[in-house]
Amino acid sequence: MTDTGEDMRSYARPQTLDEAIGLLAQGQHRILAGGTDLYPSAGMQLDGDVLDLTAIPALSGVTHGAGLRIGACTTWTAIAEADLPPALRCLQQAARQVGGRQVQNAGTIGGNLCNASPAADGVPPLLALDAVVELSGPGGTRQVPLTHFLTGPRQTLRATDEVLTAVILPDAALYGQSSFEKLGARAYLVISIAMVAARIQVTNGQITKAAIAVGACSGVAQRLPAAEAALTGAPVAEAAARVRAADVATALSPIDDVRASASYRIVAATELVRRAVTGALA
Amino acid sequence: MQISLDINGSLRDVYLDPRTTLLDALRSHLGLTGTKKGCDHGQCGACTVLLDGRRVNACLTLACMAQGAKVTTIEGLGSSDALSPLQAQFLNHDGFQCGFCTPGQICSATAMLEELAAGWPSHASTDLEGPFPLSHAEIAERMSGNLCRCAAYSNIVDAIQNAAKDGDAK
Repeated sequence: MTDTGEDMRSYARPQTLDEAIGLLAQGQHRILAGGTDLYPSAGMQLDGDVLDLTAIPALSGVTHGAGLRIGACTTWTAIAEADLPPALRCLQQAARQVGGRQVQNAGTIGGNLCNASPAADGVPPLLALDAVVELSGPGGTRQVPLTHFLTGPRQTLRATDEVLTAVILPDAALYGQSSFEKLGARAYLVISIAMVAARIQVTNGQITKAAIAVGACSGVAQRLPAAEAALTGAPVAEAAARVRAADVATALSPIDDVRASASYRIVAATELVRRAVTGALA
Repeated sequence: MQISLDINGSLRDVYLDPRTTLLDALRSHLGLTGTKKGCDHGQCGACTVLLDGRRVNACLTLACMAQGAKVTTIEGLGSSDALSPLQAQFLNHDGFQCGFCTPGQICSATAMLEELAAGWPSHASTDLEGPFPLSHAEIAERMSGNLCRCAAYSNIVDAIQNAAKDGDAK
């Protein structure tokens, strides 16, 4: 339904992706994929045309095929309730900690990625799962690794005429067990000071693969290659002891802000990495 | 734009700017002032309503997004002559002081008890399969989207626990 009445902005709620891409080709739109970030950040300045993607059935839900495909408009509640392999536990734990249930019922994974907040809860789990995002536009569809897609705070590679249509987790990343840890000033409804996702694969009591990502401690959430290397080959019992602050700090560039100092963030992130690794091995 | 909303079982036509939130539409266009505006940023939960039975913050939902959905507000859950079980238990247990957050608390708890009945775990659940005993920790986690600045939480928890018992008894 579109309305271009006097002085008003148009609102479109297409039922198909083709329609949505057609509208984007006609001119810039604010894309709405749940609305939990769009509206509070825009306030009275929500201007321009709005394109609501939440009525497009093809953009919702989790499907198994080559890897695992999560539609961009899948809500946090739907992710938390889906039957998923243990490797995705970190993502499901994050889904249960995004705001309260009211926000989890409306907010979507695609919105979380395109909004590109440094403190986006969905990003560390998806980085630990080697996620790739699928973008569709007038020129067709392309896939971009999440590490490249997020270019800075509130900045992504999405072109204005593209829709982020899905998050794809490759088959190789669906192994192991994972865990998510988040630290805020209190337990609920806060913007994170630091959060960590860890996915660990173990063979015969030895860690064979570690994927660890930290959010809210740099402009874009980061994987921790040094910490991952230190864990690889470690006996399970020694895992927590192998997590060193220096390996965590080297990948991060935390800021001092109203929520925490940079040095506190490093200490906190290191402890969260230990807990997430221990949680993933539990 | 002209839209039509299904609110508490009746279809209401309203003409509004497409940027209007569901919260402002309810309060300012439709005269349903039971739904409260607290923070207007999705943090406090005072504006909680049910969209097709699921709780959402009306301040983070554009009214036009709610077309085609069944919107339930506090006015649709009960009246002073016919209280919903949760409304009755909030009265019994004094689940409020100033009362401003109460409509949102009751709408939220209504959906929360449905989620529990449907077997949905929460972040506080130790076992993902259920059933979930309605402990203080479970209620605190499941109701974490609703703040009460008077801190009537302990009575709110009592009210919800007893409403859940009433439900089980039926």
